[in-house]
Amino acid sequence: MTGVARVSELLRRLDVLPGTVLVIRGDRLLTEDAALSADDEIELRSVVSGG
Amino acid sequence: MKCTRCREPAEVKLRAHNSAFCRACFLFFFQRRVARAIEHERMFDTSSRVLVAVSGGKDSLALWEVLANDGYQTVGFHLALGIGAYSERSRARTEAFAAARGLELHVRALADESLSIPDVMGATRRPACAACGTIKRHYFDAAALEHGCDVIATGHNLDDEAARLLGNVLHWQTDHLARQKPVMQPRHEKFVRKVKPLYLTSEFETATYAFMRGIDYVVEECPNAVGATQLTYKSVLDRLEDVSPGTKAGFVRDFVARASDAFAPKPAEGAGDVAAIGTCGGCGMPSFGTLCSFCSLRAEVDRKLAKRSQTASAAPATEA
Repeated sequence: MTGVARVSELLRRLDVLPGTVLVIRGDRLLTEDAALSADDEIELRSVVSGG
Repeated sequence: MKCTRCREPAEVKLRAHNSAFCRACFLFFFQRRVARAIEHERMFDTSSRVLVAVSGGKDSLALWEVLANDGYQTVGFHLALGIGAYSERSRARTEAFAAARGLELHVRALADESLSIPDVMGATRRPACAACGTIKRHYFDAAALEHGCDVIATGHNLDDEAARLLGNVLHWQTDHLARQKPVMQPRHEKFVRKVKPLYLTSEFETATYAFMRGIDYVVEECPNAVGATQLTYKSVLDRLEDVSPGTKAGFVRDFVARASDAFAPKPAEGAGDVAAIGTCGGCGMPSFGTLCSFCSLRAEVDRKLAKRSQTASAAPATEA
């Protein structure tokens, strides 16, 4: 995704609420204010379990 | 963003606590939150033998890890539900977790008793989750008795409790509201206390803990959870939480502290009347009727399977 500077913006673009996913880069979690670069590989892992 | 405790770079922000934490401080925070819930609600102590119901998901494995690290005597119990590859992965993760930590684990497979969840779904009209709940409660109770445990701990978290509370309030399920507590005392000597140490800990927090501790848990949802009402309630609560952090914790904590007792059955209503509890003719566990809920379900499944078998035998052979 281009033109996304921070995690908060990424979540907003994907319409994902911050408390519903872990934002993972490598072996670390990212907070909403973390900066992103164009070649970052980010995993959004849902924390919601259901049923 | 800096850690609220030590001012190092933060790895997680918890809006509901108006805090951010580095990894070390978050792990300390999480363990302390769980310890406080256990102490405040007098759930158990280090002399208790705790049966931990472990599914292979993040909540139950995180709970088990915290309890084991804090020196509690734990016995893990995994019920393999027989839901295809999902259940196989759940069991594998649970067994690997226990083996890596040298923890005592017992596994029971429903498929061995022709009672896998798919078997039950095919034989009854009951919703999968309702039948699954009845079956789990039976086997957890039986396992606690079998392994000499004083208490059963489950991984129900704040989001689970808030969603359940919302559903119970929306439909004014007053008997369910009476039973929605972080500690349920047994009503019969064959039952043990049931506790939810994570009841004020959010899913986000348990997922963060599991990730930071390198716990390999099953991430995907149970296939039967698709479309579940519980998920709708969680979605609504997530939106409320986003607008007003701390909503879920306040909802659950204040219900327990201020409103729960209002729904307790009055003595005249006869609820909780120990004298009315008999013995199930099927399994010998406590029951209000001739058969307990589990044995009634078991009988229904057996009848259906027997009928299918008769139908299959009676069908005319197809000519070659």
